[in-house]
Amino acid sequence: MAQLTRRAFLKLAAATAAAGGLYKLGMIRLDSLAAPEAALPGPVADRRLLGTCHLCAGGCGLSGRIVDGRLIKLDGNPFHPNNQGKLCPKGQAGQQVLYDPDRLKGPMRRVEGGWQQVSWDEALSEIADALRGLRASGHPERLAFLHDGKRGPTSDLIARFCRAFGTPNDLHAPRHSADGTGLAHWVSQGWNDHAAYDWENTDYFLCFGGAFLEAWQPLTRQLRAYARMRRGRPGRRARIVQIEPRASVTATKADEWIPIRPGTEGALALGIAHVIIREGLYDADFVAEHVFGFDDWSDQAGQQHMGFRSLVLRDYSPGQVAQITGVPAETIRRLAREFAAARPAAVAAGDVGGYTNSLYSQWAIHALNALVGSIDAPGGVLRQVEPPLAPWPEVVPDEIAARGLAQPRVDGAGGPGAPLAEHAPHRRTEEPEAPWPVDVLFLYHSNPLYDDPPGVGWAERLANTRLVVSFSPYLDETSALADLLLPDCTYLEKWFLEPLEPSLGYPAVGLGRPLVEPLYDTRNTGDVLIQLARALGDPIAAAFPWPHFVAALEERVKGLYQSGRGLPTAESWEAFWAEFQSRAVWYDPQYEFGQWERVLATPSGRFELASPQLKARLEAVGLRVTDQDLLPHFVPPAFEGEEAAYPFTLRTFKPITYAERWNGNIPWLQEIYGLHVQERWDSWVELNPETAHELGIRDGERVRVESVAGSIELRARLWPGTPPDVVSIPLGHGRAAGGRWSEGFGANPNALLAALADPLSGELATQSTRVRIVKL
Amino acid sequence: MPRWGMVIDLDKCTACQACSVACMAENNAPLVGRDESLHNRAITWHYVLPEVEEGDYPYFHARFLPRPCFHCAEPPCVKVCPVGATYVDEEGLVLVNYDRCIGCKYCVTSCPYGVRYVNWRHYHWPEPMEQYLNPEVPLRPEGVVEKCTFCIHRLRRAQEEAAAQGRQLTDAELVLLPACNQACPASARYFGDLDDPESTVSRLARNPRAFRVLEDLGTEPCVYYLAEEKN
Repeated sequence: MAQLTRRAFLKLAAATAAAGGLYKLGMIRLDSLAAPEAALPGPVADRRLLGTCHLCAGGCGLSGRIVDGRLIKLDGNPFHPNNQGKLCPKGQAGQQVLYDPDRLKGPMRRVEGGWQQVSWDEALSEIADALRGLRASGHPERLAFLHDGKRGPTSDLIARFCRAFGTPNDLHAPRHSADGTGLAHWVSQGWNDHAAYDWENTDYFLCFGGAFLEAWQPLTRQLRAYARMRRGRPGRRARIVQIEPRASVTATKADEWIPIRPGTEGALALGIAHVIIREGLYDADFVAEHVFGFDDWSDQAGQQHMGFRSLVLRDYSPGQVAQITGVPAETIRRLAREFAAARPAAVAAGDVGGYTNSLYSQWAIHALNALVGSIDAPGGVLRQVEPPLAPWPEVVPDEIAARGLAQPRVDGAGGPGAPLAEHAPHRRTEEPEAPWPVDVLFLYHSNPLYDDPPGVGWAERLANTRLVVSFSPYLDETSALADLLLPDCTYLEKWFLEPLEPSLGYPAVGLGRPLVEPLYDTRNTGDVLIQLARALGDPIAAAFPWPHFVAALEERVKGLYQSGRGLPTAESWEAFWAEFQSRAVWYDPQYEFGQWERVLATPSGRFELASPQLKARLEAVGLRVTDQDLLPHFVPPAFEGEEAAYPFTLRTFKPITYAERWNGNIPWLQEIYGLHVQERWDSWVELNPETAHELGIRDGERVRVESVAGSIELRARLWPGTPPDVVSIPLGHGRAAGGRWSEGFGANPNALLAALADPLSGELATQSTRVRIVKL
Repeated sequence: MPRWGMVIDLDKCTACQACSVACMAENNAPLVGRDESLHNRAITWHYVLPEVEEGDYPYFHARFLPRPCFHCAEPPCVKVCPVGATYVDEEGLVLVNYDRCIGCKYCVTSCPYGVRYVNWRHYHWPEPMEQYLNPEVPLRPEGVVEKCTFCIHRLRRAQEEAAAQGRQLTDAELVLLPACNQACPASARYFGDLDDPESTVSRLARNPRAFRVLEDLGTEPCVYYLAEEKN
């Protein structure tokens, strides 16, 4: 054993560090003597820089431990109200995003047989030439910008670019996050967005389908809230019921898992509503004061229409609903009574996207919140307050741009094929919209070749596009087909603003700031757009008057300063900006209940259980509507694939380890990828153990999964939380590009999906394909 | 002299695995890569173990157990080590002297909890990944066995800093000290001195929900769990 005392050793180590060399890898090992405690290299000089995470849409605050300019560890920013010093496993793995050896290291141009380095100036002038050509030919609408549509100034800057340039094709393509909840809130409450929830005070949570501990964002807030619901309030442990066809890890943590036939979640909600109404368990005061369409109603022309109560009492008795859902009638009655007894601290929510009936199902689920008065109540559903970021000055499109903006969108959003959609790039477009009239395509945080079913037709779309420009920081499947790569910095090397996704109710904005100097010749896409606008000259340049993106961000942040609210506040703008940089977050922890004009922004000013505005929208695109179409009701979901040939419904799911805004080249997450089945570095298909036995498939054997759209091979895993007629495959593997730790293994279940979409929202029906299993 | 221990509340735990990633990041977990990992050679000092009991569909029971080293008071790994490379330090931590370890792997076999990991090869970090390595944690050479240290380097640093201020570490400072505890989004993990009857971990270890894993083996683990409940 070493005779050197620890204290002496630490002093020695500190002195050595101070003397210069700091540390050299390998040296530690060779020089270490005796016991590891003595061999500990000893403390080093470090500091903390605060920033913002960008691995999911959640926008948690980060605290980076910096040693000698290197990022050594990522923790949560203690000031950020969303994650309060904590961080999910994805966020923790951010160092492997920053130091990914397979990242793009500078701009590249496609040449015969590979890639060639180009300078930023060359690349930008090539794009500017192509864009000038579009405007000169009078077709600025032939530029399309496909991006994730994440709220915040980067999306705003993209929208601004599209508007100044003159294209309506500002296409949002969130990655498999389409869940119909936004539209359900639009139709019932008048705003199209996710809701915030007062989990801290919720006593009963009826979760339909969403794995809220794995796939909901912001995730860290969900995880914190779960612990609080369980043990944060002595004597008051919330009850959580998880209703979903496949038992996720979340379902195993819930108090009860209720398996249900895929796509029938809306019917169950209506069955619960039936019991609540029939037994008089609803909040009669809330319904009388704040709900429209509960009773039969008459429109402006004096015509009578059926209301929610009549429909639900007629069609959705527990017996009828048990037939549809497979959930026993007695369970439906029990859930209804439990839920109503907890009001108003009861929440019904979830994610039943991915079916062709998503809007109506989600509306039916949300209707339960109105019945028990948990809309804008403590423990209930809130509407997120947006932070007072100052707007940029309006863009006034010139004549060419105005003509372009008046052209129809290439994704047909808002048209007859997707009447309620604002964005529908995932939808397969039919004649006359096809072929894809796009000459220049920009890709930012979007990888449709991997994320979308093959039948959507991205391969043809890309082949028919003259110039494809990718801003991806790494080579993904879609970028691999681009003509120019203009790599963005990672979120740990750049400036951005991240307004809080709906979650806490009250407003917050995270500041993304470089925790380390950019490693490579990459540029913040915000800066690149400003440079591109400048290269295009007026009038586009005039809409981008900032020297760089940070200046554009500062202009927005001044709104926070001027509001005089929240934390931090300061005497001067300079002091505020400095303080904002050091805390990396602004928030105002006040949520005012009872702002009904804000919360219920529908034409009636009430929670609409019958929707005249839906009638108007559908009739505007020439659809005929019945009374039932204006109410939450059950529409049998469509599935692709004959049941006789394809007996299993395929569920694709997001494990917590799926970094959906990034790629899979993250070894730490690969190492722990499939917790419940102990899978790592691979894909698997989950089978019911009995079903597997009947098929003669043993745990771990390789199988082929086939659908009408394609087939993949992977290993079968027996998971008892699988219904006999369902199989499930995780997202995230089977990549053809991205790096040494993500390519060439596993299988991508998106390749099995039929290109079905919700006929109203245009969202992809990702849970609506049937498959068969072939033993290999 | 303190006796370090940990308590993990399974009723708060969400099985998110932030603890496991935090551990890999903090402790310079070797990048073994896919092939080695599929040969069960991954080095994950902290791991979340699933425990699944199948019933008649739809009934089944699944439980997830976040598992660091249990730093047993009667550690089988220490008893079998032929060269004294693995030992219990004066504060109850079970540690490995990497320079003494001859890689015989007796300890790996003897540990009933599977917390000990072998460096089967010389693993390296491709450029520029070595930049994120924590300079306060030594790298381990090929052939030696390694394991969770309860983040001893953090503990020593905190102790040194407190000592420099002429005081002892407080219970509040200790609770979140290891990297896994600091990360835990559910705040389900507690660290501290089991010999201090007033410490958070002592109080929780006396909770009726408290249990230890394979207690009947007589290993006297210093990690306690608080059982999950269902409403």
